[in-house]
Amino acid sequence: VAEAAGLARLEDKHLAQLACSAETGRELSGALPKDLNWSEEMAPTFRLPPRAGR
Amino acid sequence: MTDPAFLGIADAAEMIRGRRLSPVAFTEALLERIVRLNDRYHAFIRVTPDVALAAARQAESEVAAGGWRGPLHGIPFALKDVIDFAGMPTTAHSRVLIDNIAAADAAVTARLKAAGAIMLGKLATHEFAIGGPSFDLPWPPAVNPWGGANFPGGSSSGSAVALAVGMLPAALGTDTGGSVRNPASMCAITGMKPTYGLVSRRGVFPLAYSLDHVGPMTRSVRDNALLLQAIAGHDEEDPGSARLDIPDYSAALQARVGRLTIGLVRHFYAEDMQAHPEQAAAIEAAAGVLERLGARVKEIRLAPLAEYATCARIIIRCEAYAIHRRWMAERPGDYGAIARQRILDGAVMSAADYIDAQRLRARLTRRTLAVFAGIDAALTVSGMDPTCRLDDAEACARIYSRQARQPFNVTGQPAMALPAGFTRSGLPLSLQLIGNPFQEAVLYRIAHAYERATGWSEHRPPELARQDGQEGPGKTPVPGQTPGKAPTEASTQLRGTGSP
Repeated sequence: VAEAAGLARLEDKHLAQLACSAETGRELSGALPKDLNWSEEMAPTFRLPPRAGR
Repeated sequence: MTDPAFLGIADAAEMIRGRRLSPVAFTEALLERIVRLNDRYHAFIRVTPDVALAAARQAESEVAAGGWRGPLHGIPFALKDVIDFAGMPTTAHSRVLIDNIAAADAAVTARLKAAGAIMLGKLATHEFAIGGPSFDLPWPPAVNPWGGANFPGGSSSGSAVALAVGMLPAALGTDTGGSVRNPASMCAITGMKPTYGLVSRRGVFPLAYSLDHVGPMTRSVRDNALLLQAIAGHDEEDPGSARLDIPDYSAALQARVGRLTIGLVRHFYAEDMQAHPEQAAAIEAAAGVLERLGARVKEIRLAPLAEYATCARIIIRCEAYAIHRRWMAERPGDYGAIARQRILDGAVMSAADYIDAQRLRARLTRRTLAVFAGIDAALTVSGMDPTCRLDDAEACARIYSRQARQPFNVTGQPAMALPAGFTRSGLPLSLQLIGNPFQEAVLYRIAHAYERATGWSEHRPPELARQDGQEGPGKTPVPGQTPGKAPTEASTQLRGTGSP
């Protein structure tokens, strides 16, 4: 996982932390709701500015 | 001169305007206090007396010439060290950014400068606003003045501690998962997380772009309204910034709460989590106070806390890792252990998880706002527990996660924490008020009425009174509180050893 993420300089103690991250990450992923419909879009954090008037 | 330690913004502003308080003398007195107390409380990681005194002298001459700019003119403040002040380091309390000099002011810094406020220095934070309390960083963590050597909450820990010990009347913090409200709750001060988009984040080191907020921290509600007034407003250069007229928050304080409907979110602290009995009782008592003030209090139900927490945790992990991954790849050893763990958490989340968390966020926000359409504000806990010992890492981590603040980073609604009493052992209890988007004025109106009815904000840490016996108008909350250790010798050396 560390190599795939480009984290080549992690020491052993850091890799132990990453293993812990993987475990809690799986738990969080599993806690996401399973009934999200395809029509439910992500929160709109991207907005275009309105076109300036002439 | 009036004892400056616990002089608030509003009172000091009136005195400065009437030329009964010198900004220079006010600033000098607070600088002296910082030097005297910082070795014990570690609220500041950098003090800037030259910058402060130059600004104070300018304010004094402007006021003397009839050029009073407003309530922040001549008022000292400080910034959590994730907020840029041009020419000064912004370290995020981390070795990673130890040499990072800000090229420009953050938008909020520029607004405070324009208002004539006086920068005292940079305040301690959890590393990158995510990792703490930590003892393996270039500076030690801030210490709560309530109860000896306790956890002050975080991540805006220095901001809350500096206010609680009377080092300044105004500070800014940031709040991504509760980091203004948590230390406010632990240190018996007042913190507001404004609506997402009300206060610019430009020039503030990000933790998670879509959840980050900058918020005012003060000792009183009235002061908080004044500080928010100075920093709120549209910023073209912040892509999340809202464009709207800013109301007069201080004017809202005069209105009664009699016609307001306040939702009590009891399931957060009685079903989803079990709050400490004295904390739960404080919320029930606060509901009673608000009813006696004429508000209608009715129980409401939002989504379970765990749903908001899952959503917020995934978003924070992913956005934070995106920000840090280059440094994490090149110099992982420069992070403290706690920040490294929390940032690495994002390395293992999938893009689909992040997108689903943002989709969940839209759902939660829609459902939450539907409930809020029928109320003016909501009342619930901020955290489930009183503070714990700073050196008890397990307890700090546990109480940090037992909280009801993240839901309103997810929805972006305004939410504030303020004092709601003390435990039998003298530790601060708090409450949280939540409003509809951009309705900060309603929260101030309720909070001010509650504050005046209870007087909780006037209490000061007993150990301060014991230390110098001349603190301002504060009261000691309960007899027999565990004494704190005597202050260490005064010093201007602010960089700690980083060891416990």
